[in-house]
Amino acid sequence: MRRQIQSGIAALAFLALPGMAMAAGEAKVSCGTANGKAATGKPIKVGGIHGNAAPGDFSSSTDAAAAYFACVNASGGIHGRPVQYMVENDQWNPELAGQAASKLVQDEKVIALVGNGSFVEMSVNAPFYAKQNVMAMASACAVSECFESSNIVSTNQGPLASSIGAAMYAVETQKAKHVSCIGLAIPSVGNWSCGAVEKYMASKGLKGSSVLLNPGAPDVNAGLLEAVASGADAILVNLPAGLAIAFLRAAQEQDLRDKYQWTSSTPLYDESVPKALGKYWDGKMFINAELTPLDGKGADNQHWRSVMNAYAKAKSPRDTFSQSGYLSAKYFTQTLRAMDPAKLDDRAAVTAAIKKIAGYRSDLTCGPYYVGDSKQHMPNHAGTMVVVKDGAFKVVRSCYEYEGPYFQPLMVTEKSLKLR
Amino acid sequence: MKSKQATFILAMGLACTLVAWGKPLAVIGLFVVSGMAVGSLYALGGVGLVVLYRTTGVLNFASGAMGAAGVMLAWQLGQWGWYEPMTWVAGLALATGLSLFYGRLIAPHLAARDTVVKAVATLGFALIVLGATSFVWDDDVRSFTLPSDQMAIRLLGLRVTVTRLIVFLTTVALVIGIWVYLEHTRMGLQMRALANDRHISSLIGVRILKVETIAWGMAGFIAGFTGLMFGDLVRLEPNIITFVVIPSIAAAICGRLDSLGMVLIGGLFIGVLESLLTLSPWLKSVRTVAPFVVAIAMLVLLQSGNRLLFGRDE
Repeated sequence: MRRQIQSGIAALAFLALPGMAMAAGEAKVSCGTANGKAATGKPIKVGGIHGNAAPGDFSSSTDAAAAYFACVNASGGIHGRPVQYMVENDQWNPELAGQAASKLVQDEKVIALVGNGSFVEMSVNAPFYAKQNVMAMASACAVSECFESSNIVSTNQGPLASSIGAAMYAVETQKAKHVSCIGLAIPSVGNWSCGAVEKYMASKGLKGSSVLLNPGAPDVNAGLLEAVASGADAILVNLPAGLAIAFLRAAQEQDLRDKYQWTSSTPLYDESVPKALGKYWDGKMFINAELTPLDGKGADNQHWRSVMNAYAKAKSPRDTFSQSGYLSAKYFTQTLRAMDPAKLDDRAAVTAAIKKIAGYRSDLTCGPYYVGDSKQHMPNHAGTMVVVKDGAFKVVRSCYEYEGPYFQPLMVTEKSLKLR
Repeated sequence: MKSKQATFILAMGLACTLVAWGKPLAVIGLFVVSGMAVGSLYALGGVGLVVLYRTTGVLNFASGAMGAAGVMLAWQLGQWGWYEPMTWVAGLALATGLSLFYGRLIAPHLAARDTVVKAVATLGFALIVLGATSFVWDDDVRSFTLPSDQMAIRLLGLRVTVTRLIVFLTTVALVIGIWVYLEHTRMGLQMRALANDRHISSLIGVRILKVETIAWGMAGFIAGFTGLMFGDLVRLEPNIITFVVIPSIAAAICGRLDSLGMVLIGGLFIGVLESLLTLSPWLKSVRTVAPFVVAIAMLVLLQSGNRLLFGRDE
């Protein structure tokens, strides 16, 4: 509520001083040739779909992409043309997700989708994107279809890679022998990602097990007891933040902090989490971060913050999905700027150009970004580990590449693209 | 009816035994205590529903939403640095206020309508309250704690916090207290008369608005208390707390929307069965249906009787 009141005051201030606010933003932040002229001419149509309804909001990815495109437009656009970024909300409803994609791709004839973030949209629309030969440069993926489709590629890692990263830390640093992965009982989310953790553990000659929570079940105690009964010595929390907090509260109630090693995938890497967890977990909760730490000093991370401050709403979260949205929009813009200006409205040409991306780099990710003509895309599979410490996060392991059977085909692709 | 209640308890006991069969007693003990802790929350919500239904004939689907709004307000005031007990009072006051608002301004206009219509109207109110709550407190990571979370006892190997004990003991106390109130006080007599026949009650001088206001106030207070406990013990998420009303209704059905003792027993069985289902590799993915299975079992048992669940006035 306080944030909304603050943003209301900020909005009033913005209305009162529009010229000053934008002028200040434009003067400091550039996303292009910095010739000082705003883009003109026929807009380049780009779409984006996010999910925003109870119980989750993934809109920070499209918010960041929108902010970046606004910055691009103010900095001369793409070959002088502005980006018209159209965003739809699937509200976690498969029917709405299908309608949103149809509206953007068939009615508006967008040349690509950028910054998509949803649990639902990718599962529904992956075949449609392939059929329409349009690429989705997503940013907040959480389901298997997002990483195992020909026409979707994401800058974030999703629960599978992030969970394996957390499991690796538990094994290599905390010397865990049996990791119990706590996931959601949704086939393309929890079963998929915790199943991959089990395979990773097996590949190391160790034991992995899964406890899958029904998202509709309010009680998490039974799931915690199931993990305890499994005989694990490490617990990996691979849940949306709200549910993860509830699970850790149940563990706190049983005073299990010192009886297990505790790790988590990225959803707990959120600035509001240390306060919600409280002092009990200080120094004990280790979390995988898919992208660079939010306070990273790299040029792109600094630029992301500047773009958000200048072109996004104050209440728009500055989180991992926001970083991902910024990065997808940046890579998309970079690709279009390298294209023949005459082909910018040709969807097939844009799709081909995106699929040719190989070796883009940013300090926001540990490894190179690439697409390729493949049915599996997961360019981001290296990350960072942080620990909750003194009400904030402290890096305990910098960029490290994840291991396990799931990544073998990706390694082959990267070798063919001469990226390793 | 007592034989049916005994049959229900035996059937539930048998179901729990079958699900837990072959597991070590220590493990079963953990899951039973954990299930009772959640079940007492369901029973608490169910008691609030039955109190209102017995006095006004309204099955209040909005009780979860009222509790959710209350606990979110309490959390918000806590964030603003309010003295903790004041935040609880404010949360309880909001839930009670919402209940009184509906009971005084909306419910009287529906007094002559069918019981089902009255119930569905509260569902609409629940969605309005949930929408407003979600609008004010958008999706974010939050947690709500009470000082009693820090104190605990060991029961069958499980650490049970004082907060959970408070929930259980409060539920038992409410069952006894409300039974005494309804059966042995003048106001309780008027409430029962009103529920039995609103028209005749008004003719013999029962002050309908006063009696109904007290009933809605009591139900709102219980909803607020349930919301505070649920926000602390389960999750501080408005939509989750709002729909806790569903297992609570299942618990209320176990008591035929009438018997508070059976609501308590039904709620506890729902919680325990839901918890024990986790032990079954085949059934753990469907454990969320436990409330409905228990409610259906009770409804089937009641089929041979002539008492209609939604037909008090017929």
